[in-house]
Amino acid sequence: MNSPAESFTVSTQISIQDPAERLAARLRSEYGPRITGELVMPARQGDYRPLPGDLDPRLAGALRSRGVQRLYTHQAAAWASVRSDRHTVIVTPTASGKTICYNLPVLQAALQEQTKALYLFPTKALAQDQVAELSALNEAGELGIRAFTFDGDTPGDARKAVRTRGDIVVSNPDMLHQGILPHHTKWAQFFESLRYVVIDEMHSYRGVFGSHVANVIRRLRRICRFYGADPIFILCSATIANPAELAGELIGGEVEAITESGAPQGAKHLLLWNPPVINPDLGIRASARSQTTRIARMAVKQGLKSIVFAQSRLMVEVLTKYLKDSFDKDPRHPARVAAYRGGYLPTQRRAMERQLREGQLDCVVSTSALELGVDIGALDLCVLNGYPGTIAGTWQRLGRAGRRQRTAVGVLVASSLPLDQYIIRNPDFFLGASPEQARIDPDQLLILLDHIRCAAFELPFKAGERFGREDLGEMLAYLAEHGILHREGDQWHWMSDSYPANSVSLRSVAEGNFVVVDTSEGRQTVIAEVDYSSAPMTIYEGAIYMIQSTPYQVERLDWEGRKAFVTRTRADYYTDAIDYTRLKILERFEEAKQTQQAVAQGEVHLVKRIAGYKKIRYYSHENVGYGNIDLPDQEMHTTAAWWQVNPAALEAAFDSRQVALDGFLGAGYALHIIAAMRLLSEPRDIGRAVGDGNARWFATVGSNGRGQLRSSEDEAIDPAQLEQFTPTLFLYDNYPGGIGLSAPLYEQRTTIVSDALQLVAACACRHGCPSCIGPILASDEVRGYSPKEAALKVLTLLTDD
Amino acid sequence: MIDLKSKLSRLQGQSGRRQSAIQPLSAGSELRRRLDSIRLDRLSPPPQIDAKTTDETLAQRLKGYLIADGVIRIEQRLSLDGRLGRHPLKLLRNASQLPGEGREAHLRQVYIDTETTGLSGGSGTLAFLIGIAVVERDALVVTQYLITRFAGEPGMLTAFARTLTSDDRLVSYNGKSFDLPLMITRYRMQGLSHPFDGKLHLDLLHTVRRLFNRRWPDCRLATLEQRLLGFKRRNDLPGSEAPAAWTDYVRQGRAEKLVLVVEHNRQDIVSLALAHTALSQAIAAPESHGVDIVALARWISRHDETKAYTMLKAAAQPLDDRGKRLLGHLARRAGDWWRALPLWEELATRGCEDSMEQLAKYHEHISRDFDVASRYCKQLKPGMKQSRRLQRIEEKRYRQMLQPAMDHFIDR
Repeated sequence: MNSPAESFTVSTQISIQDPAERLAARLRSEYGPRITGELVMPARQGDYRPLPGDLDPRLAGALRSRGVQRLYTHQAAAWASVRSDRHTVIVTPTASGKTICYNLPVLQAALQEQTKALYLFPTKALAQDQVAELSALNEAGELGIRAFTFDGDTPGDARKAVRTRGDIVVSNPDMLHQGILPHHTKWAQFFESLRYVVIDEMHSYRGVFGSHVANVIRRLRRICRFYGADPIFILCSATIANPAELAGELIGGEVEAITESGAPQGAKHLLLWNPPVINPDLGIRASARSQTTRIARMAVKQGLKSIVFAQSRLMVEVLTKYLKDSFDKDPRHPARVAAYRGGYLPTQRRAMERQLREGQLDCVVSTSALELGVDIGALDLCVLNGYPGTIAGTWQRLGRAGRRQRTAVGVLVASSLPLDQYIIRNPDFFLGASPEQARIDPDQLLILLDHIRCAAFELPFKAGERFGREDLGEMLAYLAEHGILHREGDQWHWMSDSYPANSVSLRSVAEGNFVVVDTSEGRQTVIAEVDYSSAPMTIYEGAIYMIQSTPYQVERLDWEGRKAFVTRTRADYYTDAIDYTRLKILERFEEAKQTQQAVAQGEVHLVKRIAGYKKIRYYSHENVGYGNIDLPDQEMHTTAAWWQVNPAALEAAFDSRQVALDGFLGAGYALHIIAAMRLLSEPRDIGRAVGDGNARWFATVGSNGRGQLRSSEDEAIDPAQLEQFTPTLFLYDNYPGGIGLSAPLYEQRTTIVSDALQLVAACACRHGCPSCIGPILASDEVRGYSPKEAALKVLTLLTDD
Repeated sequence: MIDLKSKLSRLQGQSGRRQSAIQPLSAGSELRRRLDSIRLDRLSPPPQIDAKTTDETLAQRLKGYLIADGVIRIEQRLSLDGRLGRHPLKLLRNASQLPGEGREAHLRQVYIDTETTGLSGGSGTLAFLIGIAVVERDALVVTQYLITRFAGEPGMLTAFARTLTSDDRLVSYNGKSFDLPLMITRYRMQGLSHPFDGKLHLDLLHTVRRLFNRRWPDCRLATLEQRLLGFKRRNDLPGSEAPAAWTDYVRQGRAEKLVLVVEHNRQDIVSLALAHTALSQAIAAPESHGVDIVALARWISRHDETKAYTMLKAAAQPLDDRGKRLLGHLARRAGDWWRALPLWEELATRGCEDSMEQLAKYHEHISRDFDVASRYCKQLKPGMKQSRRLQRIEEKRYRQMLQPAMDHFIDR
C-alpha cells in the first residue's frame, strides 16, 4: 500500500485513503467551531494466546472448523479464571468474541462432566441469537449438546423436554422469577447438576431492574443450595466504571474482573458537536435534528454506512423522513434509509437486521432498541442525536460503528437539554471521565420485601438464614404479623393462597399492548404495536403515526379492544400531544419540616389528561393547528416526593404570586433533570408537576410562556384570587404503584436541591434557557422579566435552613 | 433530630387508617419504622389469637387419632349395604370397566383427593389433607391424613406412601394436572421419594369431559353428583374455603371450618368412587344416562369398531353432523357403502369437505363413476393433493371412455 520511501507520511496517507477518516477531516475543516471536543483512539493490534492445553479436543475441533485457531488474551484469561472456579466478569467492547468466554467452559463441563448451564439475557431476541450461535458451534464439532430457550413463547408441551433434557437453558430474569424458581421442584434434575450461570449484558441490570434481578439471583442461589449445587457465575458487560462491584452486588459474592481486551480494534474518532447558536440572548441553538441530518447526509453521500440514534420513537421517524426525502425519493429503487425502533413487529425487525448485516441499507435510524448486542454488521459512522443520558450508554451506542476493525467515526450532537449542554461544554468531563458507576440497591426495602415473599414461597426460611443485608428475622416477623408467613419452630412458612411472583414485576408493568391496524384500501393489516403506557400520547384519534416515516392518520381508537385503526395519509405535519397532570396527596410516609420549607414523600393519586394535540409542520416546525383528544383520563396511584414553602415565607419573598408560580415551574424543571441524573434513571422514569396537592388546581405553562393555574374542570384561575396559595412541587415515580424512586428522592432531597441551585446559578444565560429552567419567551427577555431569578429564589427557599 | 418514638407516633397520627398495622410489637427498631412506612395494601392486619383447640381435641372430634407429631389419621368404614343418591353402594363390589381397559380395571382402585393451601400450584402450596378410599369386602374404607402444622408434612407423606401397594391404580378427579404434580413437589421439597413412579392413574375428569362436555353446563364434581349420581350436598363447605380453614386452625386454633373441610373431602372421595361405577354403567346404557353417544362411540371405536358401529346404528337420539360423519366412517370400514353414501351426500350438501373427499374416493375406486368423482373432487380445497387426485380421475375417465374402442381393437 505504502512504499517505504513514503513512510514518514504514513498517517496522512491512511487518513486520506480511509473514507471514515476523510469524513472526520471534512467535518473538522468545515464545521470546526461546532466541534467542542475530540477524541482519537488509535487502532489496536490483536493479542493472542494458543487454545488452552486442557481444552477438550472435540471443542478445539469445533473452534478450528469455525475458523478460530487461537484465543484473544481476554478469552484465555476468562478460561483460566472460570476453570479455577472463580466467579468472573468480562468487560470488553462489542464484537470482541465475548460469547466464547462463557461458551468454552460451559461446553467443556457439559461434555466432560454432563453438567448444566443457565444463560440469562435481558431480552428474548438476544436469547434466540445465542441459541443459534451455540447450535452452530455444536454442529461444527458434533458435540451433541442441547441448548434450548425457555421463555414465555416456549409451548407447554415443549417445557418438560427443556427442563429434563436441556444441557443449556437460555432464558431471561423475568422467566426465572415467575416461571422457574416458583416451580423449582420440576427443575430438580437441572438444579442438581447446575454448574454455570451466565449473565450477559450485565450493564443493563442497573437501577430498579438491577435491584430486582439481584434479588432473583439471591433466590436462585438459595434454591441451588437446596439441591446441593453452588454454580459459578460468568458475567459479560459493556464498559461501566465498576464491573466487579456491580457483578458482586448482583450475585452476592466476590467476582474476578477481566477488563483488558485482546481483540483488535480499528481507530475511532469521536467528535462532540454543539449546534450553532441562533439567538445568543435566549440561549437558543439550532436543533440537534438539523445537525444530525446534515452529518448523516454527508456520510451517506460519501458511501459510508451509518447509524443514527435518537432519543424517542417520534424523533426516529422525523429523522428517517428527512433522510428518506434526500435518498429514497425514487420508489423504484430499494430503500437506502430505514427506521428501527420498538413497536415494529419482530419479523420486520429481523428483516431489517438482515439488510443491515448484508449491507443493503446505507443508514439506519434507531432508538436504544439497537443498543443491545443484536448483530447488525460493520458500520462506519454513528451519530447520536442527543446525549443518551449516561456515559456508558453513549459508549455502548458509539460501539455500534467500527465493529470490524476499520476506522469509525462517532459524533455526539448535543440537544438543548441541560444535561447535553453540560456535557458538550465540558468535554473533559465526558472524554476524560470514566463511565458511570452502575448502581443497584438490592436492599431497597420494598424490593427486598417482595423477594423475601417470593423466596418464602419457594422454600421455607430457617432461623439463622440470610437474605439481603437487612435483619431477615425482623422482616419475616413483619410478614408473619401481616398474615403472609407463619412461624413454626425455627422455620417460616408461606401461608397465603397466592402466587407472589405474579404480583412482582421486575420491570414496568404493561397492561396489554395496542395494535395498529392499517385499513387503507379496505385492508386490515396489523402494522405495529404500541405499549399501553405510550398509547395515549401516540395513537389518539387524529394523531399522525409514522412507520418508516410513512405517515398514517389514526381514524379510530378502540381503547377497550386495544386497537388503533389508521389509514395512509399525505399530511405535511406531525402531531404532538399536550398533557396536564393533577396530583392529590393521599398519604405522607415521611416528612422533614423546617422553618421555611417542608419536604415529604408518600402516596399520591395522579390524573393525567391528554387534552389535545398540536399539528407541527415539517421543516419549519411551526404550529399549524390544534386538535382535541377525547380519551379517558389516565389515573394512577404512585409515590412521589414533594417540596413546599412555608406560605408566609413565600409571600415575603415574592411580590406577586404569578412570579412565585413561574419560579416553581422553573425550579421543577431543574430539579427534574438533577433527580434523574442522581438516581441514574431515565428522565421519563420520573414525572414532575406543580399543583396544590389536593388536585384543586395545577400549573402549566401557557402559550404566553407564563405559569397558569387551571382548575380540575380545566378553567383558568387567577392565583391572586386564591385564599390559600401553597404551590407544591412534585417529582413522582412515573410507574403505576411506583418502582421505589420516591424514597431515594426523599433521602437525597438536600443534594438534589443544592445541585439544582448550582445548575441554575452557574448557567451562562441571563433570564433562563432550556439548559437550566426551561425555555422562556423572547418577549420576557426584552422586558427584562427573569423567570430564572424567580426559580433561584424558590430553590433558595427550598434549601435547608 | 426527633427521636424515633415521636417519629413513630407522628406517623401513626398522620395515618389513622393504618394504625392497626402499626402495633408496637417490636416497634423500637429503625427497620420496623421503615417497614411500617411502606405500603402493603394487599396485606391483612395481624390476626387475633384465640384460645387454641389442641390437636388431641381435634383428633377426637374427627374420630381419628394422632399417628405422629402433627398428623391425624381418620378412618371411616362405609357399609356397602347403603345407598347414595340413586345408586346402591353394593355396586362398588364389582370392577368398573371403561372402554379399552384390561388388567388395570381389576387392580385395587385407590380413590384419591387432596385439600391444599392454595390453588395456584408452585412450591409454596402444600396438601394439608390427603384422603383415599378403597373397597374392602363389604365396606368402602376412607382413610384421611390431616396435618395440623407444617412439621407434620413429612410424617403424613411417609404414612400415605406406605398405604400404596404395587397392585394399585389411582383414581382421581383432576388429579393428573393438580393433585399429583402438587404432591410430587411436596415429596421433593421434603427430600422424600414419591410413591407414584409407574403407578397407573385414571383421571375421571377426562372421562366426564369426554362424555358430558356437550351435555352439561360444566364438569365440576358437584355437577356430576347432581346429574349422574342423583343427589345434592347440603351444608357443604365450598372447596375454595379450604385454604382459609386450615390457616384458621394453624394460626388461631379455630377448628370449626377445618372439621367441615375433612367432611367435604370425605364426600368428594365417596362421590369419586361411586362416579367410577356410575360412569361404567352410563357407558353400558349410554342413552338412558344422557351420554354424548357420538363421543362415546368415537372412544369405543378406537378399540372396537364393530361395537361402536352397532351402538351408533342403534342410537335413538338423532345424530348431529359430527355423529353422521363418524357413522359414515364406521359404515365404510364395515363395507356398508349403502349406509355411508346417503350420509356423505347429505353432509356434502352442507359443505363438509371430508364427506366430499369420501365421495370422490368412493366414486373413483368403487363405483368407478368418474363423472361424479370428478364433480366432488372439484369441490375440494384446491391444493397439490386435490389437483393430483383430479388429474388421476380425469385420466381414468378418459380411459374408461376409450375402453370400448380399445376392447374392440384388442379383440381384433
